[in-house]
Amino acid sequence: MAPAVKVDKGGKWSSDLVLDLYSNLLTEIWELVSALIGEAILAFLFTLAIRKLGEKYPFLNSLKVSDDGISLDEAREDCRTVAPIEINRGFQSLINHLSQLFSALAEGVINKELFPKVFPKVKEAERIISQK
Amino acid sequence: MLRSTINAISTSIEMKEIVESAGTNLPNLFDFSSFGVFWKEDLLLFLYQEESCPPPFTQEVVKNIIKVFSVLGEEPIDEERITLQVENRKLRPKQMVMDPKATLKSHLTLPLVIEEEILGCIALNSDQPNAFDAQDLQFFSVIGYQIAATLKHFQRLSSIKNIAIYDTLTGLYNRRYFEERLGLDAQKSFYGGTPLSLVMADIDHFKKVNDTLGHTEGDRVLFEIANLLKASVRKKDTVARYGGEEFILILPEAGLGEASMIAERIRKLVEGTPFEIANARINLTVSMGISNFPSNRAKSKEELVKMADEALYDAKRGGRNKVCIFTGRSAQ
Repeated sequence: MAPAVKVDKGGKWSSDLVLDLYSNLLTEIWELVSALIGEAILAFLFTLAIRKLGEKYPFLNSLKVSDDGISLDEAREDCRTVAPIEINRGFQSLINHLSQLFSALAEGVINKELFPKVFPKVKEAERIISQK
Repeated sequence: MLRSTINAISTSIEMKEIVESAGTNLPNLFDFSSFGVFWKEDLLLFLYQEESCPPPFTQEVVKNIIKVFSVLGEEPIDEERITLQVENRKLRPKQMVMDPKATLKSHLTLPLVIEEEILGCIALNSDQPNAFDAQDLQFFSVIGYQIAATLKHFQRLSSIKNIAIYDTLTGLYNRRYFEERLGLDAQKSFYGGTPLSLVMADIDHFKKVNDTLGHTEGDRVLFEIANLLKASVRKKDTVARYGGEEFILILPEAGLGEASMIAERIRKLVEGTPFEIANARINLTVSMGISNFPSNRAKSKEELVKMADEALYDAKRGGRNKVCIFTGRSAQ
């Protein structure tokens, strides 16, 4: 199901909407994968992926990762000046990189669990954002 | 079964025991060909593997662990530098021995992470494709967490041990460790009748270095001389900072001849080394005193230290940059 659609006055997708979308997605990834490999390892992998992509997508550096999960609260402020399409690219890269890390550690075991639940939503997010 | 594995790991007191405990219990939880624990700090890789594991399979496992470790953002590791310890065990029934051409078909490799620090990784490897599922991963990550927590505990103990035995400025053993070590070596020597020599060394005119160049430069001198001392002794010798600019060497099984040779080597090395301090090159010398069991008939370790100290005093009084041997009231 497509997420609720909010359009700002200019008729563009607001950064907040894209962030909401990925906030839900990352929470879902967190819940699913932490049950498989534990919070400490997952937090480490998230931090690693953010460090890797933070130079290209600086707003990713404002994501707060801890053993309790991932928070986008600070990123919202930093994303005000970033184009939604760029935010989308940043988060897609993050999810792709995480998926590569999962694959390096456990081959298909994690992605097999993750893909059916998360992948369609990533595609859906991409579709909604690209509509504009 | 998982609980007993966790308990066995948490009560382990050394790395080898962790691998043994986990290795013994893991076959009841998973079907695997080898189980590995890599500890980054010591570049140590323990492999607990099926006895029919062919060597190429083992090599492949090692390479895979190194590869995954570098994917985790760690510095690339040179395979040559890894100390590999392999434990071969019968993990499978006789009819299921591994093909001599078996290759690594599936693995689960997890980082050992505690407080955002990566201590190493653990790996479960198989010669069968798709050997592991989500539940295996869940169990293995719980085991990994326990191993990480136990290793962290070891690391803390080891750093406490380091503080207790090393001198932080020079990296040499401290006086407390020296006293303990001398106790053991002296006991061995006094009862076993083997020779034991002590060399006490003191940097000549060190006060002048501190007064003219400052204490930071003085500390650098101490550090560099400590390195020269470490480089000049045998593997079985102990070099410690005795206090201030004074060092002491325990030379087990060294008679007076050998002790004099080592001390003279150090004296010449220090004399011939220009120390680059505060943009200047300075030359330094050391004075040394030697005592020896049984030559000096010392009855206790304290007496042996006192004798070396007296010989050092003689070297100072005799003009410095000298090695003197304790000979009763007069020194050579």
